[in-house]
Amino acid sequence: MIALDFTLNARPCRIEVPAHWTVLDLLRDGLALNGTKYGCGEGVCGTCTILLDGEPVRSCLVLASRLRGRTVVTVEGLASDGEPDRLQTAFARAGAVQCGFCTPGMLLSARALLTENPSPTEHDVREALAGNLCRCTGYSKIIEAVLAAAAGR
Amino acid sequence: MRLRPFALAEPESVPEAVEILARLEGETRIIAGGTALVPTMRLGLATPDRLVSLHRIPGLSQIRMDKGTLEIGAMSSLAALARHDAVRSRWPLLAEAAGRVATPAIRSIATLGGNLCYAEAASDPAPALLCLDTRVRVADSVGERVVPIGEFFTGFYDTAVAPNEILTGVSVPAAPAGARSGYVKFCPRSAEDKPLIGVAALLVLDAAKRVGEIRIALGGAAPTPMRARRAEAAVKGRELSDAVTRDAAEAAAAEAEPLSDLMGSVDYRREMIRVWVRRLLLSLGSGS
Repeated sequence: MIALDFTLNARPCRIEVPAHWTVLDLLRDGLALNGTKYGCGEGVCGTCTILLDGEPVRSCLVLASRLRGRTVVTVEGLASDGEPDRLQTAFARAGAVQCGFCTPGMLLSARALLTENPSPTEHDVREALAGNLCRCTGYSKIIEAVLAAAAGR
Repeated sequence: MRLRPFALAEPESVPEAVEILARLEGETRIIAGGTALVPTMRLGLATPDRLVSLHRIPGLSQIRMDKGTLEIGAMSSLAALARHDAVRSRWPLLAEAAGRVATPAIRSIATLGGNLCYAEAASDPAPALLCLDTRVRVADSVGERVVPIGEFFTGFYDTAVAPNEILTGVSVPAAPAGARSGYVKFCPRSAEDKPLIGVAALLVLDAAKRVGEIRIALGGAAPTPMRARRAEAAVKGRELSDAVTRDAAEAAAAEAEPLSDLMGSVDYRREMIRVWVRRLLLSLGSGS
């Protein structure tokens, strides 16, 4: 077992984790944070995306030991004081959610983009969401929602 | 689905890491970002008993300049390379290629050292590094040696790094003054895929608009990333006319030794090398 100290959704987290667990294993099975989804397990589908020190990463590819001393944000940490992130509101308004399985990864990839670049072009949004697969909505409404959130709509 | 259990070592220095490599028994693998190794393990194609993670070694993720040479630690992420100001301004070819690998959530964790050691024939950074005459630094328990990038890739998914060695970083000399460069990749399936073929080129035009220095390298065109020396010879000393770019493209297609796989046949790869070498040279010739 490996002892870890890190910051999870703005709170300190101290936990012991088996050496072969990925960040996704730790989030879902160690911490019961099931918002982060297990999709392909190979880093291809994007639904397990979290923010690690503000950068989007695939939690299914990263060994949990890499979290030591770092800061993690999952979809559970996007809201603040009970208020949804404006991306979450924009997704709901635009109908950017259908089955919802890709949504956590979409939201966190989009959050990383807007933090780095508050006024993205549509091209920027497409680049930032590349590798986040959605099998329901056809992406248009998701891109609309991110642009709407950036524009404060 | 969990990974098969393994022991994990997290050394805090290069000497400690190579000492662990030398003494461990069973199948041991080094893990950098894990973006290539973890899927391989999940598919059961690698079943290591032990992993040696390099993430706690200070300095291995540094990107710095030393007297005009770019020194990149093996654990530098591709995202960090792609956004680094000095890399973007002085080695734009490398920044461009690093920024074209996969997707943002892969580039943030994938490392340059890991990309090189995985030795994917269709690597995006490898052709850029070949054009930039990069030197690869490799350490074992005795010390460090330097491998020219042209001797680094030794075969299909194989490199000059021995099992008891660790790639610690690369040194990229200053690009020639006035160099123009570019990287193009052709992805027939999705934009975030590895390319069917990738082409990097760096050239310097003299006062008479003739090609002085020229370096062309290909990914996905052979079992390893390769310099296209005959294509280079076809343009050296000439103006980048339509006919000359055609000659270079023919030469590159002829000297390539592509493999056939699910992404494309040998013939299709050759044809795409012909198309993309020409396109890249034409765009560099027109200054765009």
